[in-house]
Amino acid sequence: MSDRFIWSVVIGMALANFLVRFIPIAIVSRVELPGPIMRWLSFIPASVMGALVAAEVFRPGGSWIDPVHSPYGWAALLTGLVYWRSRSFLGATLAGMLGFVALRAWLG
Amino acid sequence: MRGLKLGLPVFLGYMPVGAAFGILATGLGFSTLQACACSATALAGAGQFIALPVIRAGESVLAVLAATTVVNLRYVLFGATISPYLRGLTLPRQALLAYFLTDETFAININDRRAGLSTGWSMFGVGVISWVGWVLGTLMGAAAASWIGDPSRWGVEFAMPAMFVALLIALAENRQHVIVASLAIAIALALPAASLVGVNIPSAWFIVMASVGAATIATLMFPERESA
Repeated sequence: MSDRFIWSVVIGMALANFLVRFIPIAIVSRVELPGPIMRWLSFIPASVMGALVAAEVFRPGGSWIDPVHSPYGWAALLTGLVYWRSRSFLGATLAGMLGFVALRAWLG
Repeated sequence: MRGLKLGLPVFLGYMPVGAAFGILATGLGFSTLQACACSATALAGAGQFIALPVIRAGESVLAVLAATTVVNLRYVLFGATISPYLRGLTLPRQALLAYFLTDETFAININDRRAGLSTGWSMFGVGVISWVGWVLGTLMGAAAASWIGDPSRWGVEFAMPAMFVALLIALAENRQHVIVASLAIAIALALPAASLVGVNIPSAWFIVMASVGAATIATLMFPERESA
């Protein structure tokens, strides 16, 4: 793999990822949006997180797993419970990772 | 300062995932400098990971850019969602906050905003500390790739899912949000399941389609906004 190719990828990814973030902010922050669109946008955070969780927990790495015999679902449940009780992102993330390692050792 | 504190869990969560990227990228032929430059300028989590198999498949810059853009199309939604809060900031400041926009910084800032606390500076703090965690993690991973062994021993692959789960609970703050999140989960699982009946949808689109679909259904279902 050539050096030149890798640098092209690095620079191209920098531009692509910046533009996809910046263009909507630059445009939408300068116009007044109608009510239904604002309502639609207010649903986006919860819907994106739901979709990401579904993908990460049930299809880690892009293929289906058996949620009962795999550590992903149980560790996610544990993470959710810890966050629910503690309201700490850090505590929940670490508990989830620890739980995942323990569950993986146990479930095989 | 408050932003740095808010972003601390993101920092700690990003380090191991960044390290995983550093290890995988150097394994593919990136130098340590190239891996770090990629993390420092793209700051794209899944968008960077998706690039790796595409790079391996063939030396096409265009294919890599298409993959990373599609995976990160959700940032269009994030940008549009967060932009009403960024009114009044100058374009360069908006550009800076756009650059730091990730799943986690977005969720933490939106959550903070709903509590009425977030400011331009706190968002900047969250962005900076997350960026440092991501780049530092990549550096450590790339530098230590040869002797760190298998990173999955440390539960690295669950750092990102764990963060998403906590953020989901933080953001699903009322009944409507719980319903929209449930809809998104259902659609995100139905899309790959559709291949069982012969309908093949490219997996890069699952997250965007599920998010847009669930938010659209919820907008039609709930003509009034529910307070938190």
